[in-house]
Amino acid sequence: MYRLFLALRYLLTRPINLLGVFGIALSVWALVVVVSLFSGFLAVIARHVHGASADVTVSGLPPGTGWPGLQAELRGETNVAAVAPRVVHYGLLHRPGRRPGPPALPGRTALHGGDQPFLFVLGVDPAAESQATGFAGWLVDPVIPAELRAADPREPLRDRGDRAAVLVGLDRMRAEGLRPGDELVLTTGTMRDREDGARVTAQVQIPLVVAGAFKTQHGGFDGNNLFVGIEVLRRHLFDGASVVQEAAVRVADPQDLDGTAARLSRAVQRAVDRGDQRARGIAQTWRQKNAGFLESVEHQRALLKIVLVVILVTAAFLMLATLSMMVTEKTADIGILAAMGGTPLGTTQVFLACGLTITGAGVALGLGTGCITAVYLEEVRQVLRWATGIDLFPLEVYNLDRVPWHLDPWWLLQVTLMAFATGFLASALPALRAARHDPLVSLRNA
Amino acid sequence: MTAPVLAAASVTKTFQLGRQPIPVLRGVDFAVAAGEIVALLGASGAGKSTLLHVLGLLDPPTSGEVLYDGRAVQHLSVRERALLRHRYVGFVFQFYHLIPELTALQNVLLAGMMATPILRYLRERSERRRRAVALLEQVGLGERLRHRPAELSGGERQRVAIARALLAEPRVILADEPTGNLDSATAKGVVDLMFSLQRQRGLGFVLVTHDEALARRADRVVRMVDGRVVG
Repeated sequence: MYRLFLALRYLLTRPINLLGVFGIALSVWALVVVVSLFSGFLAVIARHVHGASADVTVSGLPPGTGWPGLQAELRGETNVAAVAPRVVHYGLLHRPGRRPGPPALPGRTALHGGDQPFLFVLGVDPAAESQATGFAGWLVDPVIPAELRAADPREPLRDRGDRAAVLVGLDRMRAEGLRPGDELVLTTGTMRDREDGARVTAQVQIPLVVAGAFKTQHGGFDGNNLFVGIEVLRRHLFDGASVVQEAAVRVADPQDLDGTAARLSRAVQRAVDRGDQRARGIAQTWRQKNAGFLESVEHQRALLKIVLVVILVTAAFLMLATLSMMVTEKTADIGILAAMGGTPLGTTQVFLACGLTITGAGVALGLGTGCITAVYLEEVRQVLRWATGIDLFPLEVYNLDRVPWHLDPWWLLQVTLMAFATGFLASALPALRAARHDPLVSLRNA
Repeated sequence: MTAPVLAAASVTKTFQLGRQPIPVLRGVDFAVAAGEIVALLGASGAGKSTLLHVLGLLDPPTSGEVLYDGRAVQHLSVRERALLRHRYVGFVFQFYHLIPELTALQNVLLAGMMATPILRYLRERSERRRRAVALLEQVGLGERLRHRPAELSGGERQRVAIARALLAEPRVILADEPTGNLDSATAKGVVDLMFSLQRQRGLGFVLVTHDEALARRADRVVRMVDGRVVG
């Protein structure tokens, strides 16, 4: 009993111990707020990426893969609800007769895109694509103004004369001042057989006309992709052959996404493998296909965790310093306790109880304020912006409507355990030092 | 004389000063019985305090035996010795050694907490408090319960220390020059109080002093010179 009693008395009579409490609380608060922000951000980003992707994408197909055979193979999987063929190419988008501007600095397009002329061109069948992905919805997103919408969302890629219709991301439309009906050219290249039989790179220019804008929640997808009719690309690049380079798949049961992708991979490889071990086709879930992007955000979260744990350790050092001072001040008490029947272990426990009480108070304060701050982070952002003009988390950059958060109970438990482990180590050192004091020396020096 | 509660048999204690051995106790035989007041008299450095610490199990002897109720205890574990110290011995020091953060009442209550688990203490809390208050009233500090040591005079502090030593109902009080830091009038009051409480409770009492007049009030005087008992 005396251990707890003395520990509390020591703590309550020394305001300097509040430094330790506040240090621990601050680091726990930061661990809760920053990680909940990143976790929320990650969840939102994943939702946005999924919204702009097919559940499963089949890619890496050998050149000249035909759609009917592949479609039949994909349809053979019971969890497949819809499939759509795609031809995926690339090129420079520009107005007729104008050279495109220089590309933006590297690294600017990770989230947004739309600021450089180099794009991926997805040749799609609008009807099939609408079944397999959210394509139909991307054309009628409420944020697309009426004057920028495709005239007929059911047939948005119908050719207009000699020009093929193209759907452009909303942000790019706005940035370049494009409107439906504007003429564009996609300059790209393909491989052609020369008369002497050699295969050479040939420039291809595809005349396009803007049909309208599309808008997903994934700004990077919108900025870096165009949609044209699949037949347009087949005509210009593959001499009209019914080839396919990618297939978008929607699954019936999302719970079995990984299993479905694995089975589709095997099915596709059976169907298209030519035995040359080169392109054999692969089916990837939306998460696997965007793993690099999603993992980069997760890596940032992991790095921040490390930085914040260092802050926690620093706070523990602060506690170690104050507890060491306390042990030095209380050497006389150590002798008194021994005279009254205390043991070195009891002395250790008194100072350990001090450290763990400081840690417990800091953890409780940090968790409480951290959870409240995380939940009201958007309001905090708005107040800060109103008071200082500084926007700590510009929502438009990340295509968000409020600051995201996600409080993971497992992470809160981990933070609590980490704080207590650090607090225990920081208290154990002075506590052990206290226990090594010779009680007689302590009494003589009192 | 009744059987001794505490005894030392052929106890030696040697400290090391670098490589130099410093013998402080040289084969001391000593005993105190229940209800007996023994004054340990001697000059500074004679080994009185060291003998007191050895008897109180704060310091192990280099050789010889320390006997509690006739049982040798010097080889017991740290925990067992601490428990014996708590049950058998109450210390009163020259410099009181009260814990400055605690009030007079809390200082006394602390002695009762030493070997008591939390739940048991909480169950017995009001009874223990009642006893502590009664003790402080007995030593004349009923009005000073909530005063901290810094707010008490030297005599009052020593009275708190006496109450603290008595709370755990020890068999023997070991007092190391308890009046050495008090003026003569206050010292007399403190000694009167200690002896009165000792008589009421039938405690063994070992009083370390170099004051001949004070020693004469004891039942028996043991003189120490250079680490030996000489009479």
